[in-house]
Amino acid sequence: MSTKGTHIPEWLTVPFAGITPAPSQEKGQDLFPTGNWRSIRPVYRDKLPPCNNACGTNEKIQGYLDLVKRGKYLDAYALIKEDMPFPSVTGRVCYHPCEQACNRGQYDEAISIRAVERFLGDLGQALPRDVVKAGTPNGKKIAVVGSGPAGHSAAYQLARLGYKVTIFEKSPKAGGLNRGGIPDWVLPQDVLDREIERLVELGITIKTNSEVGRDVGWDDLKKNYDACVLAVGLTEPNSVRAEGENKDGVLYGLPFLRDIGMATSKVKLGPRVAVIGGGNTAIDCAREALRQGAVEVTMITVEANPQEMPCVPEDLHDMLEEGVELMHGRAMTAVLGNGKVEALQLFPAKFSGAINASPITINREAAAERFAVDNVIIAIGQHASLAWLPAEFKSERGSIKIDRFGRLGDTNFFAAGDIVQLGSGQPLMVVNAVGDGKRVAFNLDKVMRGEPLEPRKIAVDVLMDLNRMNMTYFPHFPRVKQTLLPPVSRRRTQEEVIQGFTEEQAVEEAYRCFSCGTCNACDNCYLVCPEPCIARPARSNGLYKILVEYCKGCRVCIEECPTGCLEGVPELDFDTGVVRMDTAFAITPGLHGRQAQELLNTANKPAKQI
Amino acid sequence: MGYTELTVWTRGIIMDKEGRDIVNSVSASARLEGKYAQAMENYVDNPDRTNAPTRKYCRVSDTVLENELTYENEHPNIVVLVEGTMVKGWDYMRGMPPGGTLIINTQYTPDYMLRFVPGVERLAQLVCVDAAKLADHKWLYYRLGQLGLDRLSTEGAAERSKAIAPDIAAPLIAAVVKSTGIVKRETIEPMIANKKAFEMALNELHILPLKPVAA
Repeated sequence: MSTKGTHIPEWLTVPFAGITPAPSQEKGQDLFPTGNWRSIRPVYRDKLPPCNNACGTNEKIQGYLDLVKRGKYLDAYALIKEDMPFPSVTGRVCYHPCEQACNRGQYDEAISIRAVERFLGDLGQALPRDVVKAGTPNGKKIAVVGSGPAGHSAAYQLARLGYKVTIFEKSPKAGGLNRGGIPDWVLPQDVLDREIERLVELGITIKTNSEVGRDVGWDDLKKNYDACVLAVGLTEPNSVRAEGENKDGVLYGLPFLRDIGMATSKVKLGPRVAVIGGGNTAIDCAREALRQGAVEVTMITVEANPQEMPCVPEDLHDMLEEGVELMHGRAMTAVLGNGKVEALQLFPAKFSGAINASPITINREAAAERFAVDNVIIAIGQHASLAWLPAEFKSERGSIKIDRFGRLGDTNFFAAGDIVQLGSGQPLMVVNAVGDGKRVAFNLDKVMRGEPLEPRKIAVDVLMDLNRMNMTYFPHFPRVKQTLLPPVSRRRTQEEVIQGFTEEQAVEEAYRCFSCGTCNACDNCYLVCPEPCIARPARSNGLYKILVEYCKGCRVCIEECPTGCLEGVPELDFDTGVVRMDTAFAITPGLHGRQAQELLNTANKPAKQI
Repeated sequence: MGYTELTVWTRGIIMDKEGRDIVNSVSASARLEGKYAQAMENYVDNPDRTNAPTRKYCRVSDTVLENELTYENEHPNIVVLVEGTMVKGWDYMRGMPPGGTLIINTQYTPDYMLRFVPGVERLAQLVCVDAAKLADHKWLYYRLGQLGLDRLSTEGAAERSKAIAPDIAAPLIAAVVKSTGIVKRETIEPMIANKKAFEMALNELHILPLKPVAA
């Protein structure tokens, strides 16, 4: 590159005449600020990974996987605790919508996010002290009704914000659905106990055996507390409205599991058990029935095949491995027997559509089937028991009427969890309840501080999909599998079926994360830039900087960014980064004019005397 | 009109021909009209580098050009930016006498572009023309970012056709002719290959009149 005829300022003089410093050398980029070659500018802009978006409580999944990858387990645990009070529980029981949404699922196999979460949760349980602390007390008292996932989450977030929280729980032990709806071989009681202890450590008072409507009323809550979160859940089982449903030996799903969970069960199952329903609770009931002594367990569903069942495929697979039989396309119309269940009357039936309570068409023309059983467990969903609630707040679908911020009218009462999500179209699961509890806690905090309520805003607005990432950098790599107890041995024990990850497994799995749309400090842009115009003081998200005076806009970094967090933005969208080049190739005004003037004048000059 | 200087700023290789077409056609029509004119390129800029800002010059005079050996325009009356981003990239207003014209190929309005222009006080008008849209020049212009990478260029592709202003140069020539009247439309129009874009541009110019301070 010639600098002939170029004005080079004094401070940019080079050691040897005619030799210009390379861009990588000191001041080399100042001499030729080629930023005006650029029509697009590379910009680091983190997008929203699909896992984070799909998660009911929007855990920063990419963030903690990245930290696990780097061995910073405690940081990862602290990050997960921002949104999730009990990662050790959800690490076991969550139906992981994040893994269904995972971009890696379209490539080879989704990341085993739940297993890594469980690894971090167990790590947190082993800590002598939790990383989370209660906020500075602000003197306000909040009542939380129900200690299930939503209540637990709301109480946890409110305690972190500095409120004095009291939880009312109607059962003798706290935990709600986590304790009463989830069998021990999925979630051992001591894990949950430890998480409840963590709540108490935050300064939360838990009053067990206190049922709303019986021990504490609407007016008490209104009078004694500044605000209240109702997270009462769905407690009453739905009936199938079949004849003879009141006979001995007819059990309902959630109470069946709850009594076993609370150790108050007096049920003795016969050898042949039928389970009505095809959801996740029905699967848990069928598997629990085996552990309670049943020999033959048959699951009777209205859905025509296993694919249509509203359940998690893994759990269905594990259930079938344990030896539960499936019977599809039937509806139970009557329970037969003399005072006690002896058989069921079944008719062919069809199920039309959505997950939550839609009509079933029963073909009564066909011949009835008689199915001999000793017990039948009905697990077809739950509804709420809201006799204590003022009528103005009851909605027509049997839940609590709230506005979009979870608030009951303009009272200081909020509601969260299954009780408000019933019939809203989204599946009822622990993580959705936790997210609901979290959001309601933040809304309640705003109301208490007198701030206006605003809908949730996502910090990064663009959802990242696989097509916008550079797959060249991601070799196919199989998912690390969690070990399971062999089916024969797990059929009769309450031991945990799915085993946790070791440290090596968790790190290996975290390494599989694509880090969709978010900078994971892979240093690729720094290395591929053909000119050294990407600078960083340290390898970390947010610390990469593009020297806009020098970047020529060649797009190499954008094309080669594995995660897609770099994007090209039209240069004219920026007011900044104006490079009025005044050094290289900018000839001093008039230089050539002066030369030309001399040439012109040569004609007028008298000829040289020779 | 006396003496007028026209400087075209363009991008090396990818838009080199567009810049050259503007100065060549303007000077050729001026000569047809009986004026003295010349057009030349600036090779100090190294125009053989993709995306590098390079200049093309044209001078039109009613009398003999006294400075025909000077190989850059010191006092351009008209400045054309063939690619909009260049508005941020150079002191293209240097040496412009008060009452000049700046023409930019961009989809933005003159009001928006004004903030990037150095020395606005010298301008009598700011003209914006969306030449890429009018010439329907998708393959070149909308892929400008990639072009920096794959080295496609009009130096080869478009130039094989030998036509003058087959693409985005046509609307820009229309902008020069209409806003400044440096040459007559009747003389220059027969030279232009892309007549459709030329005519559309005559109607779709955004001209922002300004008050030059010293004029």
